[in-house]
Amino acid sequence: MKIIEIIISGLNIGVIYAMIALGYTMVYGIAKLLNFAHGDIIMVGGYAICVFCAMSGSRTFFFVSIVAAVIICTVLGIVVERVAYRPLRGATPIAVLITAIGISYLLQSLAQIIFGSAQRYVTVPDLGKIMIGSLGIKWSTIITLAASVIVMVSLSLFVKYSRIGRAMIAVSEDRGASQLMGINVNIIITITFAIGSALAALAGLFYLLQSPYITNTFGAMPGIKAFTAAVIGGIGSIPGAMIGSLVLGLIESICDTIVPIAPYKDAIEFSILIIILLVKPTGLLGKVRREKV
Amino acid sequence: MASIFDRMKKVRWDHYIDYILIAVFALVLTVLSMTGNLKNSSAIIVEKIAISMILAVSLSLVVGFLGELSLGHAGFMCVGAYIGGKLSIALVAAMGNTVFAVIISMLVGGLCAAACGFLVGLPALRLKGDYLAIVTLAFGEIVKVIFQQSATFGGNLGLGTPRYDKRSFFIIELITVIITLAAVQNLIRSKHGRAITAIRDNEIAAKATGINVTGYKLAAFMISSFFAGVAGVLFSFSNSTIQATKFGYNYSIEILVIIVLGGMGSLRGSLISAALITLLNEKLRTILTGDLAVMKDLVYAVVLIAVVIYNNAPALKSFRDKYNLRRVFDKIRNPKQDHAFVRDDDAAWDRVPTKIKMDELLSVDIVPGNEFTPDKPSKGGQ
Amino acid sequence: MKRIITVFVAIALLVVCFASCGNTGKTNYAANNTEFYIGCSGPLTGDASVYGQAVKNSAQMAVDEINAAGGLNGVMFKFVMTDDVHKAENVSTNYTTMFESGMQIALGCVTTNPCLEFKTLSHEDNLFFITPSASSDSIVEYDNAYQMCFADGNQGKVAAEYVNGIFAGKTIGMLYRSDDAYSTGIREQFLANLDKSITVVEAGFSGGVVASFSSQINTLKPYDFIFMPIYYAPAAQFMTEAKNDVSPKATYYGCDGLDGIDTSIEGFDISTIPQEVSFLSHFNSKATEGASAEFIGKYVAKYGAETLNQFGASAYDCIYSIFEALKNCDVDVTSSPSEICEALKAVFQSADFSFDGVTGTGITWTKDGFVNKSAVKYIVKEAD
Repeated sequence: MKIIEIIISGLNIGVIYAMIALGYTMVYGIAKLLNFAHGDIIMVGGYAICVFCAMSGSRTFFFVSIVAAVIICTVLGIVVERVAYRPLRGATPIAVLITAIGISYLLQSLAQIIFGSAQRYVTVPDLGKIMIGSLGIKWSTIITLAASVIVMVSLSLFVKYSRIGRAMIAVSEDRGASQLMGINVNIIITITFAIGSALAALAGLFYLLQSPYITNTFGAMPGIKAFTAAVIGGIGSIPGAMIGSLVLGLIESICDTIVPIAPYKDAIEFSILIIILLVKPTGLLGKVRREKV
Repeated sequence: MASIFDRMKKVRWDHYIDYILIAVFALVLTVLSMTGNLKNSSAIIVEKIAISMILAVSLSLVVGFLGELSLGHAGFMCVGAYIGGKLSIALVAAMGNTVFAVIISMLVGGLCAAACGFLVGLPALRLKGDYLAIVTLAFGEIVKVIFQQSATFGGNLGLGTPRYDKRSFFIIELITVIITLAAVQNLIRSKHGRAITAIRDNEIAAKATGINVTGYKLAAFMISSFFAGVAGVLFSFSNSTIQATKFGYNYSIEILVIIVLGGMGSLRGSLISAALITLLNEKLRTILTGDLAVMKDLVYAVVLIAVVIYNNAPALKSFRDKYNLRRVFDKIRNPKQDHAFVRDDDAAWDRVPTKIKMDELLSVDIVPGNEFTPDKPSKGGQ
Repeated sequence: MKRIITVFVAIALLVVCFASCGNTGKTNYAANNTEFYIGCSGPLTGDASVYGQAVKNSAQMAVDEINAAGGLNGVMFKFVMTDDVHKAENVSTNYTTMFESGMQIALGCVTTNPCLEFKTLSHEDNLFFITPSASSDSIVEYDNAYQMCFADGNQGKVAAEYVNGIFAGKTIGMLYRSDDAYSTGIREQFLANLDKSITVVEAGFSGGVVASFSSQINTLKPYDFIFMPIYYAPAAQFMTEAKNDVSPKATYYGCDGLDGIDTSIEGFDISTIPQEVSFLSHFNSKATEGASAEFIGKYVAKYGAETLNQFGASAYDCIYSIFEALKNCDVDVTSSPSEICEALKAVFQSADFSFDGVTGTGITWTKDGFVNKSAVKYIVKEAD
């Protein structure tokens, strides 16, 4: 009984990371960029939902606010890519990492200037829970899990079978060669960022369904955790991000349940990450690439 | 007299200019401090700059020269700060707050950090690029949590450590900067340094030439973390409390920002940008008080993005070559020389900032009428 | 030769950046002051910024009021707040910069961890400070330091006494934040003073942002009394997530950190929580009468309710207590911090000085610098 409870709360936590990790892994796989600003795009999505929800309390408006948040985040992702990342195409990857961090600071301080530093409660609809015997699973967990699976499958299909998707694979394999084959690398990367940011908006939504509170720094830690999850699963691999997140959620809930080790939760998670990487250097589902000489 | 001048002319000043600058800077500040003309706030900022410089130079060894991305430099600093700080409490009680206490703590803290550097270096042998980055980040966070939860090291309230005299501590720190710089610079200019840069440029080729890649990677990690540990001990002596929250991944990223802005693989650049960024951070915080404080991160972020794009954007390359600091300095020094001409000295191998890309070397501009065709040999072109 | 000249020019430039005129050591930087300079360092950005903003707003409001009423015998006050981002390493520059621009009195730091650095620095200069909210017991180690808030140890003890009276022989739950000095400080004293017959089941969390409290809820849901020595932000999140799992008859009980749970979170409605929520504090953001209500009215009119919490109320009282104490001191606007410190210490320790403010009436201070006032149990919300 206790074990099932732990698994359920692990699911609760894991699904939050899953959606974030999907966006992370998508951007990393194609643009080869550790997008440290991803967590802050989630924050922007959260605030967008918050503002639109506050404008009207009705259910229908809630769906409108989701669409609005997705659009806002997509536009933001494209703008950020255009302004901060594209000028550095071809430069050293660490320089792009630094501008990503700069964007992260910028979004956080803008959010504080606009929305203040106090925490906000977002009036998302309370979905309640489904009871199986004496165990309750939150509807939001089930919906998030289902949405993550749908997103995961459709992303995989999209990448595998659509023209743009195959162009994405080509760009991620070899940028120079795909350019020679007539693929417009810039547009492909912009599309990647657009999809990644739209996923970030959805991640913000599902995050708020689980715990409806938002501050200007709320994207940072889940961002890092989701990144960890993506690495555990094998960064760049779409199903890997999902599995990595659920593994991470399970570890968190086990640590939280055993009281004496609870304060060391972060240390335990990161130790497990290191162990997994030592055994499988590219994560659970990552591809091993041989370097050609 | 003339012979001294002749000898001085033969010395390669370029190699020593950094040391001389820092030494004279330290000397002038010492004189100011002894005559009572140095404000405490300035002394504290100098202390902070010196710590940033040590961190930047040591991280430069791993990121700039070995070519491995490390996001856990603050973790090594944390080890040094806590262990050196704990030791300094005992030492100061036994022998007073003297230079010797600082030196002993520095050595012990540095060695403990180096041991951790060895541990982190081990996975570095198996992992590459961003995977290694996340392992170093993980290491930093683990260290932070362990020290934060340890009752021996003060728990959440942090460790109270003895503070060295504000008016003279920056001298010790600046001397340590010189030692760090000398150690790293001499390493880089030695044959071992060439081996390390060879690993950066092509690991497989380096291995094939018989370079002990394992050994050099571990050594670079250990030396780098040793000096990070030393910086940690200096931090513990320049503050009366150490708190683990300082040493999160955010601080590691701050150090990374310094060396990226300074130019990867340029120690002088790292020193200059360490000084400028620390100064900017401290000044922004104390000038933008009250309601203006929220603007601080905004200004910092905008400056950061603008400078990185200006420094690295391939599209701005010609613009940069036209208006850069080195050319301005060159013009002041030798107004008559043609500055577009790259002197042998400037092209020295340890100045080459990053990998030379094969496609850059091989790119040929194809001009109409100059295409290569088998029957009509190219007119040479390019 | 030219190169050497360049080197020296560069050095000269660097030196100009740092050199400054005037003597250090025992200089009285306040000698040219035209108004009393009160300094403070607190988090204005970052995770803890809401607390720093509250202190900044309230202290500024108090100073403006005093100045509008004519100041102290015609001398005005000035309040400066620098940002330390809730990090101790930023305090040394903040402190020395303010000190060198003439700071005479301080509100210390807003949060505990940075204040540990502040206390040493101010002790060296013998500068008087009374902190609105840095609540660790070790803050008032030196005699120049005073607290306006209850010390953590004391809060833990009082809470334990309350629990001892009701739950002898029973089991209670506790939720604490393992990486926060406030939370672990109270927890330690609470457990030390708790009756041996009471069993405590603990659940911890860490970090400013928690993805989900579901494991903690699983641990704590069987208990009818849950002690929460945490701030209101995570507490509100826990209560929202747990409202259907924890028995509706349960009680959440906290310390002064819980104040603000019903006012400071925009959009959050405490009445959606079925459980009883109460806390022991010196201030209640929902007060409808007395000095508290007057303060709340003024604050909300000026800055809105989002940053209204006990931090601000406490800071408001700090400024007024300094003002009242200065009335009894023989100092003027150019006195050195050390002279003012000695004078203020004498007043704060004298038997006949007591202060009536927003966070209590008849407030006095012990010789160690701890505050002496009555804590009231506020019930934010009764169980249904």
